[in-house]
Amino acid sequence: MKLLTHNMLTSHVKGVTKGYPLLIKATEVKVSEVEFNPQFVSRMIPKLEWSALVQAAEEVGHLNDLPTELLPDYENNEEFLRKVHRVLLEVEVLEGSLRCPESGREFPISRGIPNMLLNEDEA
Amino acid sequence: MTVCCQFTVTMGATVPTGFEHCAAEEVREKLGAEAKISKDRGRIYFQMSSDSLPLVHQLRSVDNLFVVVKEYVDYQFKDSKEETLKDLQDLASKLPWTNPLEVWKLNNVLKKRRWRRRGANVSRPNPSSDGAKEGTQEGAADTETQSLEAEPEQPGRVEEDYEDNQGQQDKGSAETGAEGTPGVLKFRVTCNRAGDKHSFTSNEAARDFGGAVQEFFQWKADMTKFDVEVLLNIHNNEVVIGVALTEESLHRRNISHFGPTTLRSTLAYGMLRLCKPQVSDVIIDPMCGTGAIPLEGALEWKHSYYLAGDNNDQAVNRTVNNVAHIHRKRQEKGCGPWGLPIDTVQWNLCRLPLKTASVDIIITDMPFGKRMGSKKRNWDLYPSCLREMARVCRPGTGKAVLLTQDKKCFAKALSRMGGLWRKSHTVWVNIGGLHAGVYLLKRVASAFGETPEDTDERRDPRGAETAGEEKEEN
Repeated sequence: MKLLTHNMLTSHVKGVTKGYPLLIKATEVKVSEVEFNPQFVSRMIPKLEWSALVQAAEEVGHLNDLPTELLPDYENNEEFLRKVHRVLLEVEVLEGSLRCPESGREFPISRGIPNMLLNEDEA
Repeated sequence: MTVCCQFTVTMGATVPTGFEHCAAEEVREKLGAEAKISKDRGRIYFQMSSDSLPLVHQLRSVDNLFVVVKEYVDYQFKDSKEETLKDLQDLASKLPWTNPLEVWKLNNVLKKRRWRRRGANVSRPNPSSDGAKEGTQEGAADTETQSLEAEPEQPGRVEEDYEDNQGQQDKGSAETGAEGTPGVLKFRVTCNRAGDKHSFTSNEAARDFGGAVQEFFQWKADMTKFDVEVLLNIHNNEVVIGVALTEESLHRRNISHFGPTTLRSTLAYGMLRLCKPQVSDVIIDPMCGTGAIPLEGALEWKHSYYLAGDNNDQAVNRTVNNVAHIHRKRQEKGCGPWGLPIDTVQWNLCRLPLKTASVDIIITDMPFGKRMGSKKRNWDLYPSCLREMARVCRPGTGKAVLLTQDKKCFAKALSRMGGLWRKSHTVWVNIGGLHAGVYLLKRVASAFGETPEDTDERRDPRGAETAGEEKEEN
């Protein structure tokens, strides 16, 4: 699971209103190499929840020096964009779980795949 | 690539029916050539220089490629079968074979170099050894046995130079005679015939024409282990003779782990082209099966982000395996960052674990009543699908590209969603003999939860009876 995916995932257990962001517990993380495209990153940033991204990066131990607040004029800051690129696309959780912040329900992550299926009574 | 002289040659390509224009566009983009769309559906023709051959193999919308030896736009068939077949036999020695066969030879050289570069991968004797390494689960193992045959040519994406690797095994007997070494070439003739005014069958034409070809070249006929495949395509009065350049169809190129209804990569490519992925577009396939569509997207339109999802264990595992396989191949080639912008999630399509309005494009192959699922289930599935897809899709700018064979059910479900989805375009395709539709939908610029359709699921559909029938468009 890449952190970009995590930024879009939300808990949809019945009755839950604050199912975002899911809390990450990672037991195995890997870093891959994905081609850097500055346009991709700068256009993706407005679609993200920045604080959730920072929190996720911290939870998997890859916060490094990613700023907690978005830098102004980030579109032209290549160094910054590269850091964001790494966190969004290259850091992957292979094993672990995602926890709903409201209900505590855990969704397992195995082989990089989060299993978001609900049971009958949760749907 | 050293060629003593380059010449112009006419190429033919088979493409998924309905996507001829898409393929023509790709030819224009990548080769700078204008393609002609044949009246024989699913075929396009274009001219190119013989040294553009490597470029041709980068086409993603093409199933099979061949070099045209001769094209007759209005062939005059004689009235009797005997005379017609005699004419075909006489034709064999009069055709301009030289240049097309030259291209065939060049193509073999290209193929040989690609196989050599693959090295050990080619001669793997036990097809399931791959599975053992990856530690795949029980479910995925049943498809592993297909992986060796299904390993596609992948002639595309070869950007680097064609240096021969020392000490690698040659592919096998097919290469004999290909580079001018002594040895009799083996061939076969494949005839496709369509039209109701012919006095002969495709088998008869193939047999007689083949006999004459054999006489002329002194080649040896072999139905299974052939070096040269001669094509005789007859569509009413249009006759095209060609030499095939692709052995296996290119349409399974990305998939090494198959599922029951894996979509052709060429069809996936055509669907993706329809929705024109933009930079930073979030593109999901909520019923991804083996991941054919998102994987094709991640390879061709890397500037977007792909989420493959399915509720089925086997499906998500196969998707992950297919992605891992492509990653490994890219790592082996060693040209730069090998990772692709694609991820996999296990989810229920009717309850997507995604934030509202977070997705730009939804693209998927919806279950056909006959091959997967059932007509009754589709009846219930399609409306909830469309509604949930509308929720996650960005209003105004969002799009959906949906392939389905169950046109009646789909049309009915869509008719109740006017406040959420607007039909933009439909392409009619042929999937293994079944007629299906690819629907391009635009997400209406209304926030979810505000239109009557999405707040009351049990509302009686207006005009339900008229929604079923839909005229063929396009």
